[in-house]
Amino acid sequence: MTQAGTAIAPALGTPVDTGPALRFLLLEDSDDDSELVTHQLKSGGFHFTSETVKTAEQFRQTVRTLRPDIILADYNLGEWRGMDALDILREESMDIPLILVTGALGEVTAVDCIKQGAADYVLKGGLTRLPLAIRRTLEDKRLREQRKHAEEELAAKVKELARSNRDLEQFAFVASHDLQEPLRMVAAYTQLLAERYRGKLDENADKYIGYAVEGALRMQALIRDMLAFCRVGRTASDRNHADCNAAVRAALLNLRATVEETGTVVTYHQLPFVAADPTQLIQLFQNLIGNAVKFHGKEKPLIRVSAERRDDKWQFAVADNGIGIAPEHKDVIFVIFQRLHARNEYEGNGLGLAICQKIVEQNGGKIWVESEAGHGSTFLFTLPARCERERA
Amino acid sequence: MNEQTDILIVEDDQDDLDLALHALEREHLANKIFVARDGEEALDFLFCRGAFADRSFEHPPKVVLLDLKLPKVNGIEILKQVKSDPRTKSVPVVILTSSKEERDLMESYNLGANSYIQKPVDFKQFRETVKSLGMYWLLVNQVPASNGISRAKGVGRS
Amino acid sequence: MTAEKKPEILLVDDNPADLYLFREALGAGEVESLLTTVPDGEEAIAFLYRSGKFQSATRPDLVVLDLNLPRKDGRGVLANAKSDPNLRLIPIVVFSTSCSRTDIVDCYALGANCYVSKPGSLGDFRKAVQSIEHFWLRVARPSA
Repeated sequence: MTQAGTAIAPALGTPVDTGPALRFLLLEDSDDDSELVTHQLKSGGFHFTSETVKTAEQFRQTVRTLRPDIILADYNLGEWRGMDALDILREESMDIPLILVTGALGEVTAVDCIKQGAADYVLKGGLTRLPLAIRRTLEDKRLREQRKHAEEELAAKVKELARSNRDLEQFAFVASHDLQEPLRMVAAYTQLLAERYRGKLDENADKYIGYAVEGALRMQALIRDMLAFCRVGRTASDRNHADCNAAVRAALLNLRATVEETGTVVTYHQLPFVAADPTQLIQLFQNLIGNAVKFHGKEKPLIRVSAERRDDKWQFAVADNGIGIAPEHKDVIFVIFQRLHARNEYEGNGLGLAICQKIVEQNGGKIWVESEAGHGSTFLFTLPARCERERA
Repeated sequence: MNEQTDILIVEDDQDDLDLALHALEREHLANKIFVARDGEEALDFLFCRGAFADRSFEHPPKVVLLDLKLPKVNGIEILKQVKSDPRTKSVPVVILTSSKEERDLMESYNLGANSYIQKPVDFKQFRETVKSLGMYWLLVNQVPASNGISRAKGVGRS
Repeated sequence: MTAEKKPEILLVDDNPADLYLFREALGAGEVESLLTTVPDGEEAIAFLYRSGKFQSATRPDLVVLDLNLPRKDGRGVLANAKSDPNLRLIPIVVFSTSCSRTDIVDCYALGANCYVSKPGSLGDFRKAVQSIEHFWLRVARPSA
């Protein structure tokens, strides 16, 4: 039985639903009760069409063709129960709210019905509550759909962003790599110019060539550092079994020249194994120890590398007696390209600590610094402890 | 054992070994030097078997210094095995021997030795040779397993 | 190699800027050697076989080989030279801007005696050239 209804001619000032007609599907085996419900819908101010069905088969067919906005179901329908309609809806993968419109429920409580998936229930003896229940149910559905849509959009944006990031990293890597060769030519030949013609052209020429050489050398250092930064995370390698003692030894071998020049003493003792990339570990220690040497104070540089177990992680400390870092700079120093000193004070490109941070974070840890200006610095970082058993 | 071995020295003469080790250590050229006293030990080391079963083919030594006259398995045989197996043929092998035989020289090169050096008789020259050798094969030469991190120069990086 | 004869190096590289740098670095080195340069792989092979315009060429004591060359590239030269028993004994040092793992592995597989990446700084470049010269022409016993 189909009925179309529009709001009973309202008194002036009564709000009326506008917009497309709502489609109601009634599950009801009593014609009288069906009329009662539709009457209530009209006086509730709904702009609607409705259909009534009695059997499960009819329900299954009609719910597909009508696609109602809301289902109003009696509990007891003779051979089946209104609540069974929820199973049918689940089978058809249709998310349509169902409001139980029923006489006394008897043993089964209303709460159980709602737990099983009914949106609400209204007693036939109290149908004046029906419009409010309908409006609230429809509003809930609207909000649910809005949120689902927002989540899907977010997921799509995150995916797009990840792809864009990968493209940028790839670009930075390729550009840095390809820039090295022409730069090598410029650096070598400006240096040759400086060697061959120093003092033989006028003094302006010496100055120009000097600046050119300086610029070329700086570019080379910058590109090398950028490549090192890009390389973090590009190569996959065995991440479960890295010996920190070996890493420190390798780093010290690489830093041998500067360590000897400055008379630096580095102490470390029985450092642990960690679950991290061994090559990156060398780079990490090399950058931190190298910095500690570079930014030394008046005394001979003393550096101590130590580790403490904290739950499933190791917390490392690289402590020095150098010039220290003022508190307002402690976060900024990890930012890529960020430097604290002028070029003629200390050499560098502002990438070393950014590389350290990238390495630590890639391997699942954190890095930070404790320091006071003039009183040395301690760089602290965490790395996961090695898994005791090999995973398959 | 995952740490990179820098040099594998295969040498059974104690005097020569001491000189070589001294030369290498003085120049701080290598972190990890492994000495094999005979051919069998050398092969076990390179082929990651026997006592060295926990070694991996992914971390070969950067260079092998190989004497030809060795007990158990001689140098030529070792060279042959190393250079004919795809897992080990890229490892640089430098023959360092007292042999003056032209035949040994030819055979070594034919089997793929990367370089052939006659041990100088004078001990100072021997030390110099090992030093040059170490510097060349550890600092100048590139191997696929290189970790790619360069040595810092006088002034460190930021 | 007799005491009087100067050692000879064949340098295969198509970048004139690098050819010049190499020659300059050699000149400042301790060994007096003769340097012949060719710009591509085909000429390198012709030189080694003393064919075409290289009929009066002498056998070099060392070949220094770039990888990226026109006509026949460095790998091709390696493959040719190291598979020929007559040429196999000449040490070939690959001297290339590439430090890619694939290139290094391929060169060793083809029989290169060693692999040196062209350093980025002028000072290191010179040192590398001089190390190559010193090791292969002084320390290592050259083949007959």
